Amino acid sequence: MGILLDSLKRLEYRGYDSAGIAVVGNGLQVYKDKGFIANLEAQLPSLEGTTGLAHTRWATHGPPSKVNAHPHVDCAGRIALAHNGIIENFAELRDRLKEKGHAFRSETDTESLVHLVESHYEGDLEAAVRSALREVRGSYAIAAVSSEEPGIVVGARNESPLVVGVGPDETFLASDVPALLKHTDKVLYMMDREMVVLTPDGAVIKDLEGRPVDREPQRITWTLEDAEKGGFEHFMLKEIFEQPAAIHETLLGRVANLDVNGFFLDGFTSVKLVACGTSYHAALAGKYILEEIAGVPASAELASEYRYSHGPQERPLVILLSQSGETADTLGAAREAKRRGCKTLAICNVIGSSLTREADKTIYTRAGLEIGVAATKTFVTQLVGLYLIALRLGLDRGTLGDEEADRLKDELRSLPRAVQGILNRADDIRALAEKYGDARDIFYIGRHVNYPIAMEGALKLKEISYIHAEAYAAGELKHGPLALLTPQTPVLAVAVRDHTYEKMRSNIGEVNARGSPVVGVGTEGDRELPKFVDDVIWVPELSPVFVPVPVTVAMQLFAYHAARKRGCPIDKPRNLAKSVTVE
Amino acid sequence: MGPRDVLEGAVSMKAVILAAGEGARMGPFTASEPKVMIPVGNRPILEYVVQALVDNGVHDILVVVGYRRERILSYFQDGKAFGARMKYVVQGKQLGTAHAVAECRPQLDGTFVVLNGSNMVDAKFLADLLGHDGPGVMITQSDRPRSYGVVTVKGTKLVSITEKPAEVISNLINTGAYALDPSVFPVIEGLAGEGNHDLPAVLTALAASVGVDAVRTDGMWVDALYPWDLLRLNQAALKGVHDVRAGTIEPNVTIRGRVSIGDGCTIRSGAYLQGPLSLGAGCEIGPNAVLLPSSSLGRNVRIGALTTVANSILMDDVSLGPSSVVQDSVIGSGVTARAGLLAASGPGDVQIEGEWHPVPQIGALLGEDSELGNGVTVDPGTVVNERARVSGGARLRGTIPSGGVVL
Repeated sequence: MGILLDSLKRLEYRGYDSAGIAVVGNGLQVYKDKGFIANLEAQLPSLEGTTGLAHTRWATHGPPSKVNAHPHVDCAGRIALAHNGIIENFAELRDRLKEKGHAFRSETDTESLVHLVESHYEGDLEAAVRSALREVRGSYAIAAVSSEEPGIVVGARNESPLVVGVGPDETFLASDVPALLKHTDKVLYMMDREMVVLTPDGAVIKDLEGRPVDREPQRITWTLEDAEKGGFEHFMLKEIFEQPAAIHETLLGRVANLDVNGFFLDGFTSVKLVACGTSYHAALAGKYILEEIAGVPASAELASEYRYSHGPQERPLVILLSQSGETADTLGAAREAKRRGCKTLAICNVIGSSLTREADKTIYTRAGLEIGVAATKTFVTQLVGLYLIALRLGLDRGTLGDEEADRLKDELRSLPRAVQGILNRADDIRALAEKYGDARDIFYIGRHVNYPIAMEGALKLKEISYIHAEAYAAGELKHGPLALLTPQTPVLAVAVRDHTYEKMRSNIGEVNARGSPVVGVGTEGDRELPKFVDDVIWVPELSPVFVPVPVTVAMQLFAYHAARKRGCPIDKPRNLAKSVTVE
Repeated sequence: MGPRDVLEGAVSMKAVILAAGEGARMGPFTASEPKVMIPVGNRPILEYVVQALVDNGVHDILVVVGYRRERILSYFQDGKAFGARMKYVVQGKQLGTAHAVAECRPQLDGTFVVLNGSNMVDAKFLADLLGHDGPGVMITQSDRPRSYGVVTVKGTKLVSITEKPAEVISNLINTGAYALDPSVFPVIEGLAGEGNHDLPAVLTALAASVGVDAVRTDGMWVDALYPWDLLRLNQAALKGVHDVRAGTIEPNVTIRGRVSIGDGCTIRSGAYLQGPLSLGAGCEIGPNAVLLPSSSLGRNVRIGALTTVANSILMDDVSLGPSSVVQDSVIGSGVTARAGLLAASGPGDVQIEGEWHPVPQIGALLGEDSELGNGVTVDPGTVVNERARVSGGARLRGTIPSGGVVL
């Protein structure tokens, strides 16, 4: 029980609105509750047993509640099952099972699965799960136990991550590695449409037809302590301060030559960047980065939209960005891109993740483990990955000259310092965040490559501080949003010295005229900007295309300190999950 | 002792490392990081202290942090990568060393050692400190006792510690390393009531009551008071450097002595590397560049063609253009110099905190993120503070202020 609860806490970052635990010992005992894992822990009696499972839920079907929490139990109280993902045909299954007399308690798609397994159960859990899965459409990572078969856990995966941990005399199943690290560093990664049977002696992986699959365990080299806060108040702050090192790692050995084996030489004339959430903001910035450095036409699209749009006849290189490599919509987009005959390139932080197996080629960001739900170092290293790709692309296609490339490489190498420069001013940014952190709404404006950065800044603020924040392309203000401005709505304006500077100044003028306080993000040494804004956050002077990196870090600190002042649970914002493995 | 300690066979002794101070006498090199994080031999000074503790089986380390503490936290984190369990205690106001130790009181239940995070020590030094019972102070001989607390001893017992004496009474000084136990806390409280927050006074008081051992050591203890001392620490650190080859080394590169080359480095053809040298990850050394002992280059350092670097510390992200000469110099993170920087060594007078110090052999002391144009000459002992901008062709001497512009 201790192992289950401890491991569960290590997965809390994936989302948590309710939690539950099932232990097979003296029969099957199941406890669950709404809210944080601590709520569950507080009311648990001591449970004896050597086999069990636990789950933390993030609601998709049915609101967060005690009854909707996993694990779910069959009518007879013999089988308990936890599930990540979405069962698409659950309504149809539920109606059929209800007709057969199964009693449903919750509103979840998962409960139909446990009753389906029960309907096939004749004392062999593995066989029952296999039969059940043949009738199921959708994505799942499941774990099931039966009171009649102590010592056995059955798992299965389809489009939702699942890993097996192999220890001496113990075997584990989890949706992510951090849950296992305290107990073993030997893991087996499961693939789609595979099942696994766990016994104390080990794990046997089979396909859905029951044929054994041979898989070598992999050794995890990072440690559980990587996941600890190391003296910082929050993971997010720790991860913000790790960014200079993360950029160093991502650049390492690649500035002189990003080795892609001629991948960029042919097969496309344009680039499409596809992603969700924060990664989508990197994709939007990537459009400007690729166009400016590599001179190649580029566009960005949300993965959830791209999948269901009708692609034109052209065959762009499709670049897919996902920190975890498990984002369901991005994975779907990767498959769709291949179906359309496009070359695919992934930018991903997790080695061996599903996206890296789908894409033709992967450029890894080397940000290390990120625990804070709000992406920080993984976003910044995605930008760095895009710079590296743009340089290689431009050189390979002859659109970028050697001399210009050398100049850009020098600037790229200076990014860790530029970020450190912002971190050195963290106290100034904190003071501003505390000054404006009481606002109900804050608007972010920017132009060109800093427009997506404004979007990312607004996203950071809303996700962790719960302040309503919106970003606008500065030129769009007067087409509507200006109506929202009052003296109580601060505006954060990126007004660095680039070709949009003069236009930004007029936009700031429009804001000033409504009496809204303006925080400018400006280039060090700009003596003009302070005359137009109430406060300034300074960023080091860089070529405009690289400025998003320090600007992003400034906005992360602003959001962090605003949230901290408001007493928000920064590492675990309400309703949010780290990687969204549902569609 | 918890069951975890029994299982791992660890010594239950805890260590307190004092790392809250800024280190103002380090000039521009503590502009954005605390003194303990200044790199020598490509590792922060504090890492040598942690290493010496771990080598002696002391794994539970409390670090008292204050000034720019994020730099320490994000480097050491929970200490796992260094074989230690590190925890941090924030000293809000840096009142003094006794106050710093008192801040750790809730976490200290048995005997413990106190070390200064900016003094480089080796395992032998610590073994001597750990190897005895009761309160103790580590003492050593110094050639500049006036900068330290001078100790008076009777046999092996401490009589008193006199801070920075006007007259030379002895050349035996207090290293700031102590062995203590919780009985020290009432003494600290008592002296704090009188406005004295420093450990030497506490030790002098203890000497008069329960007695304090004065332990002499022939282990290593190197202190850095001023920036040029860093070169001495760097030499000491590089004595332990191992031969490592990583990255790309082009043909016709000459490597002699012990040279550590980090991941992702590129060493261009014709370069001459004479150890001991340490190159961090991702460095690019241009064609026919010459690196001479004892030099440390941090991460992502670029050295142009035909440039010579000797007995110097170049911190992370430094970029030196072609045809430059850098000797006996300390160059802070992110400094960029275009072609033809001349920072040759010679005798120089260096101004630190308003006082002038004659230094027999010194090159340039360049603060972080300074930018130097083409053909800049830096006279021996010149201090360029952080973020200065120097136009091409300038000749620098004396002190260039922080953020200053030299045309």
